[in-house]
Amino acid sequence: MSGSRHRLHPASDAPLDRRTLLAATAAGALATACGTASGQPPGKVAVLGDSAAWEKPMAAAGAAMKSVAGLRLVPEVNPSLESFEQVVKSSLRTSKTPDMLKYWSGYRLQDLARTGGIVDLTRQWDRAVGKGWVDASLRDAFTYRGRVYALPMNLAYWVFFYNIEVFEEHRLQVPETWDDFLATCERLKKSGITPLHGSAADRWPAFIWFQEILSRQDPQFYEDLMNGRERYTDPRAERALRTLESFFDEDWFTSMDMSHADAAPALVHGKVGMVPCGTWLGSTLVGAGGKPGKNLGAFVLPMADPKARPCVIFESSALVSTVKGPDREEALKAAGHWLRPAVMKAFSHSLQDGCPNPEVEPANPVIGGLAKKVRGDKLRLLNRFWEQGPPELVEATVDDLAGFLLNPSSYREVLRTMQDRADEAWQVWREAEET
Amino acid sequence: MTEIVTPGRRAAKHSAKHSAKPMRVRRRVPTRTPHHAARGNGRLGGPLAALPWALPAFAFVGVLLVYPFFRSVYDSFFENNGFTSSFTGFDNYARLADDPIFGRSLLNTLMWVVGTLLLPVLAGLLIAVATHRMRFGGIAQLIIVLPYAISAAATAVLWNFMLTSDGAVNQVLRGVGLDSWAQTWLLEWPQNTLSMIVASTWQATGLNVVLFAIGLRAIPQDTVEAAQLDGASGWRMFRYITLPQLRAVTVVVVGMAIVNSLKAFDMIWILTKGGPSRSSETLALTMYREAFRLFHVGYGSAIALVLSVIVVASSWLYLRRQMPEAEAEADARAATAKA
Repeated sequence: MSGSRHRLHPASDAPLDRRTLLAATAAGALATACGTASGQPPGKVAVLGDSAAWEKPMAAAGAAMKSVAGLRLVPEVNPSLESFEQVVKSSLRTSKTPDMLKYWSGYRLQDLARTGGIVDLTRQWDRAVGKGWVDASLRDAFTYRGRVYALPMNLAYWVFFYNIEVFEEHRLQVPETWDDFLATCERLKKSGITPLHGSAADRWPAFIWFQEILSRQDPQFYEDLMNGRERYTDPRAERALRTLESFFDEDWFTSMDMSHADAAPALVHGKVGMVPCGTWLGSTLVGAGGKPGKNLGAFVLPMADPKARPCVIFESSALVSTVKGPDREEALKAAGHWLRPAVMKAFSHSLQDGCPNPEVEPANPVIGGLAKKVRGDKLRLLNRFWEQGPPELVEATVDDLAGFLLNPSSYREVLRTMQDRADEAWQVWREAEET
Repeated sequence: MTEIVTPGRRAAKHSAKHSAKPMRVRRRVPTRTPHHAARGNGRLGGPLAALPWALPAFAFVGVLLVYPFFRSVYDSFFENNGFTSSFTGFDNYARLADDPIFGRSLLNTLMWVVGTLLLPVLAGLLIAVATHRMRFGGIAQLIIVLPYAISAAATAVLWNFMLTSDGAVNQVLRGVGLDSWAQTWLLEWPQNTLSMIVASTWQATGLNVVLFAIGLRAIPQDTVEAAQLDGASGWRMFRYITLPQLRAVTVVVVGMAIVNSLKAFDMIWILTKGGPSRSSETLALTMYREAFRLFHVGYGSAIALVLSVIVVASSWLYLRRQMPEAEAEADARAATAKA
């Protein structure tokens, strides 16, 4: 731009260049500031997520959608959980918000839906159910006041991973009953293998054991407690923590600072017997040398109460469409095609996780087997602890549960603290509901 | 500008020296005044002439520092849960007093300040003195400075590998038969905070070594030689000759240590996330968790304000303790020069 001037007035090039540079810098800064605001060109819809591992699957789904609906999904990633949430919550009421989001289901989704910033997708949901594209029992997890506000993206089950070769070596079978499970732990312990992985590292995993034990002892109570209809000080909640305390007394757990990243190789190398986690841990386990079906298997923890309907904890991310996103029409169209088998297959096969569309077979045989069992045995699906109850309550109670894991005899005090928090958080939640 | 002395003033000084009645001449405090040549031009030399040049700086400080600060003060009087905001007066501050997590967090912050003052500052001084005249001392210093070049996040990941229950530290302890010394370093209070202070010492000592080494080099050789002639050596030399002359550097190092320890965040966030059960949070982490994870904006702002007050007050008190003496010293020096 200043090239021609350059030749004509060599003497004046210094100030001019400086001015040009300043202008360019200002323009650049402005462009960067507005960069996220501008929508995608026609035919493209941006999906903002918090996980880099989801970028490729999203691109794969986008390519599949391009061929069936002429729309391409463009993944955008903000890998910091904190800043992702900040961006979402602060931009939702402005036109600078992303077109679509990957969010959490349950109460976290409700928290977002009641801002009025996300689109009611009930029509798209009903259509998908009509075509058999989605597991209808998942509806509650994506509902706010009877309307559906998001579509499921993945479907992970919470299972116990184990090492098939280690089980064979010690003549152990996958536990079918609660007593089998206890016997398995005992046998592993005697063989010098730490039977169970437990962790308070990375903070959030502290809820895993409470969730697993409580839901197997009394699934209805778990569901009621998580929805604020029961109290943490109830004897049934106490029983769950006492059961865990007895596991500690037997010395069945790993050290509580063993992260999942460390537990994966420990399981593959036969040092830890069983690791409870969502099926999404599969890719980490494979990365640590696990071979699904050969040395890596998974089972759903059997019920402690044989009379209760068997259940399994699930986890499903939510695809949300925003009201003020710049490409709203295209985003809605994309939502209409999201659950199509071709799109879902591309997505879930790339993600290597379970799929909410029952027509799509998971690529991973271990997860495929689990999905078959869950659907065949008609297991009751319960949403994960993390998505249940007001988010700020969950954020606080995971810390309380971490305190329990480090000092198991403190269970009464921990439950009292949790109930105090619950009283306050539910009151705030309900007040906000009314306004 | 102080060199430019007007003839008139010089004459006055002169007469003061020679007059029979000793006239006390007040030493002029150096001040910057616009150059005489510029003064003639009324358009440029006005008192507001500098304003346009200072404006960008004012704007940046205003937008990035002053406004957020007052906004936080304002927010701290409200209860804001993301949907509704209501004025609650000093409630957030009253809550601080009852909050056991805040109490623990304050205690941890205090541990960080004391720990950072004791370990990296003292270790930095000792290492700098020990390697000052040593052969290959420079190389030794370089090795100690190296961790300073690593980011705090990477340091934290490294120490995580060392400090977990099955980590390197416990393996070494078990390997040499000290099984009873093996600990769950990061899981229990107070050893999790103490372990992290040690980890940050490993990283922070390097810079202190460099600063003290510079200070040591700046000590005039003649004072040392004079002390040697007087028979001083070893501890006495260090205590009465070296240490007093390191004073200026020490002020900087200690001041930085106080501020750095008060804002300790990244290493704690990566190693324990303030946990387990919020036992290793410092004020900076508690503020972050309340404001950005739990969206208790008002409460978080109140904590931020308390932290700011502590940082500013402690820095001010410390510098005030150091500064008057420095001023007095300057005055004393001026007096000697006059005599």
